[in-house]
Amino acid sequence: MEDKKRTNWPVTILLILGLITIAFPLYMTVVIALKQPSEMTNSISGILSLPQHFSLDNFAQAMEVTDFWHSLGNSLLISIVTVVLSVVLHSLMGYAIGRNKAHSKFYKFVYLFVVSGMFVPFAILMMPLAKQTAVMGLANWVGVILLYVVFYMPMNVLLYTGYLTNIPMALEEAAKVDGASTWKTYWRVIFPIMKPMHATVAVLTALSVWNDVMTPLIIMSGTGSNTLPLAQLNFQSQFGTNYNLAFASYLLALIPILIFYVICQKQILNGVVSGAVK
Amino acid sequence: MKKTGNVAKSMVLIVVLAASACVSGCGNSTGDGNKTEIEIVQYKPEAANYFEEVEAEFNATHDDIHLTIDSPNDASTILRTRFIREDYPDIIGIGGDINYSYYMDADILMDISDYEGLSSIKQSYLDIGEALKIIPEDGVYGVPYVANAAGVLYNKDMFEEYGWEIPTTWDELLALCDDIQSEGILPFYFGFRDTWTCLAPWNALAVDLAPSDVCQQVNRGETTFSEEYGEVAEKMLRLLEYGPDDPLAYAYNDACTAFANGESAMYPIGSYAVPQILSVNENMNIDSFVMPGSNDTSQNTLNSGIDLQFCVTAECENKEAAYEVLDFLLDDENIQKYIDDQNAIPCKEGDFELASMLDGMSEYIESGNMTDYQDHYYPSEMAVDAQIQTFLINQDVEAFLSKFDSDWKRYNRDTIRKVQEYEQEHGGTAQ
Amino acid sequence: MKKINERKRTFLLITIPILALFVCFNTVPLIQGVIYSFTNFKGFGSFDWVGLRNYIDLFQDPRVGNSYLFTFKLAIVATIVVNVISLILALGLNSHIKFKSFLRGAYFIPNVLGALVVGYIFSYFFTYILPAMGEMIGSEALSSSMLSNRNTAWIAIVIVCAWQSIAMNTIIYISGLQTVPEDVYEAGSLDGAKGWKKFWHLTFPLIIPFFTINMVLCVKNFLMVFDQIMALTKGGPAQSTESISYLIYNNGISGGQFGFQSANAVIFFIVIVAISAAQMLISGRKEEQL
Repeated sequence: MEDKKRTNWPVTILLILGLITIAFPLYMTVVIALKQPSEMTNSISGILSLPQHFSLDNFAQAMEVTDFWHSLGNSLLISIVTVVLSVVLHSLMGYAIGRNKAHSKFYKFVYLFVVSGMFVPFAILMMPLAKQTAVMGLANWVGVILLYVVFYMPMNVLLYTGYLTNIPMALEEAAKVDGASTWKTYWRVIFPIMKPMHATVAVLTALSVWNDVMTPLIIMSGTGSNTLPLAQLNFQSQFGTNYNLAFASYLLALIPILIFYVICQKQILNGVVSGAVK
Repeated sequence: MKKTGNVAKSMVLIVVLAASACVSGCGNSTGDGNKTEIEIVQYKPEAANYFEEVEAEFNATHDDIHLTIDSPNDASTILRTRFIREDYPDIIGIGGDINYSYYMDADILMDISDYEGLSSIKQSYLDIGEALKIIPEDGVYGVPYVANAAGVLYNKDMFEEYGWEIPTTWDELLALCDDIQSEGILPFYFGFRDTWTCLAPWNALAVDLAPSDVCQQVNRGETTFSEEYGEVAEKMLRLLEYGPDDPLAYAYNDACTAFANGESAMYPIGSYAVPQILSVNENMNIDSFVMPGSNDTSQNTLNSGIDLQFCVTAECENKEAAYEVLDFLLDDENIQKYIDDQNAIPCKEGDFELASMLDGMSEYIESGNMTDYQDHYYPSEMAVDAQIQTFLINQDVEAFLSKFDSDWKRYNRDTIRKVQEYEQEHGGTAQ
Repeated sequence: MKKINERKRTFLLITIPILALFVCFNTVPLIQGVIYSFTNFKGFGSFDWVGLRNYIDLFQDPRVGNSYLFTFKLAIVATIVVNVISLILALGLNSHIKFKSFLRGAYFIPNVLGALVVGYIFSYFFTYILPAMGEMIGSEALSSSMLSNRNTAWIAIVIVCAWQSIAMNTIIYISGLQTVPEDVYEAGSLDGAKGWKKFWHLTFPLIIPFFTINMVLCVKNFLMVFDQIMALTKGGPAQSTESISYLIYNNGISGGQFGFQSANAVIFFIVIVAISAAQMLISGRKEEQL
């Protein structure tokens, strides 16, 4: 499809120029990740220069310090389950609310109630949640996932209901005429059509979960298992930070989420066809 | 009906998920029945390797007790969430600061005055622990393990090259700074963008120039900070003249890197900064001296406080086993290993070998001439460090100290009330 | 009639369990937090009831007042900057360009880098690189660190916030643009005044729901800004960049002011909900008009 139209070169070039704002910090990150602490200086030429010896030692060491494969496994497990649950539950919730909030006071209230949850500062919930999850026997990764499903519900419901306003009722009514139930109509018609939004929600949720430190810190502390961001705390203490190892570790942690994004953004793109049915 | 049944089924799934989570959560009870479990959570992640070794060694030599030592990052948050879950570790390793005062006040800690190991701890550190109590009460709640010290770190090679002498009075320090400047070298580096580093020179000057119990005196209503801290504040400003042009531009890490690369001759910070400095320049020859805040050398004292102490929690069920663990930790060999590893100062009496960068302070350490960090009494939410930073920008001593006084009353309202109630009951200054 | 009941029942069966989950892990702990706001709870140990003392203190505390001023200033400026740039970026990334996948991937990276990395890199940039550049071009204003001057530190934070969040807002705009028929948005891409008019009159009205979403998300992210403050200034210089979340976390969780900061959080929550409700009402009305 892209080949049919001519490429918009001016925009391409502008976008590539804009990449400097990203390439420069990324270059610094990579260079620092490859250097030794003794090569750190406060001079500009020093920080931008290439490392004296090229070696992947920092990466190997960072993997060892963070118990990389184990932490990665935990992070992947938590992120994947959270994303799947979020896409299923939040889209359903968004559907129920989106189709009713215009004419039902109840759903309007539920909408505002849930969305306002976005603005509760996490710090106020921390202590009560630490206690509550312990009492309920949820001081483990399952508890962390349930909390994520709740924390990201406001944002995701907002996204889904917003997207639904651009999906005409006519599509559903056609299915209804065929005698399908609302539940079936949802899965057959609405769920597939929201694919771009699923991809968006998946990316945003995965990203927040992937980088989150606080929730596992307060819920899973003492269980002996770490997520990647928790393990990465090992690099910093008040009196000293090993930036070289830390940067290597952050670069490693960046790869899975970037791959996930690239996969998802294809889905966002594919949505063009279904979205155009209007 | 059948169709809505589908919905119901899916929803049941969620409930099942939650329920199964409960089961899995409740399932992990401790396995070995005949061993006593002792769990330590200690707040210094940088010493994690040492504690892993100790843990392994202890478990290898003890059949009846199983020891677990956890060295988490952000231990203070973790401890607080565990306290609220009522899931208390048996022993906690914390610093001798206001959190310790709060934990004592909240009755989280156990009175361990019957622990025999206390007799081998240096009196000066036991006194520091005693002073941290909000109101005087009986009992000992912590075993001081190691201390750190803050003063001025200096580049030993540079000092030798130019033949500079270690100053012992304030005037000598200023003269030294002028000498260093005349050689075209920066005397001090500061990393004041990280607000907490403002406290290092502040503490080091305040122990020389203000009474060691100034905070308690203020709580009892006997004096004000405006009265006691005036000289400290003035001298902070003097130091600023010998630092980089824009000291607020740099963070702790920048300052460590700059000092390591020889960009300044001295750096007023604690011994805890040495590992970070050495990571940049491992061949650097660092030594330290006590900040000479006063021209009266008898006033000058080493700024040293409890960096790590072990407290048994009130909920600990096996006091005997906990004491056995403490005995093991306090073993001379283990303490020596810790101080080698962390450049720390032992709180225990005995013949320990100190790290070379503490040479300049050893006289004070051996004679016990030391005073606790003043900021161990400041509530962290008052952000004294940020107030000092503000003061360094505005350079208005009077405004700074009067705000210090009024904020102190605000943030310590409950503490002051408690202290004054105590004073009324016990008829004035009984201390 | 039967159909309608079936539909209603399905919606309720979907809503109730999910809502219950939400209430269990959001509303219930929030209510506990509200209860703590009437105590002098430190976060551990015993506590006393202090009635409305925390709330009265809150309104007399200049530090809290300044944190509100700073946070709102930051949020307003950052929201505008981010939305303008990310909308342009989304239009660009959505037009017929070469290396589309690569560019979309690359522009996503700022969102993924951890706070420690972003903090370090940008501190370095503001402390050493920017002043050097300022000296080179002979600009006095730029030749000292932005982070050490209380008049400019907040701008540095806006820059970092924008740098990080543009990625996310762009994704949402891109997914919004997918719902717009292709000929419309293609015409709306950046070719001349005609294109701009078309964009304004054709494309933009169609993506207003996404504009609303982005506004709400920006308001949420920037009013609750925390990571960037921790990474760059820790509230300094001279306490000029203490955000509300920074105060709540630092003094409530790390310090001993849990009760007082709970009160702060409650007030903060009420303020943002009021703003967002107003915002949604206004843009909701716009959606209906169009």
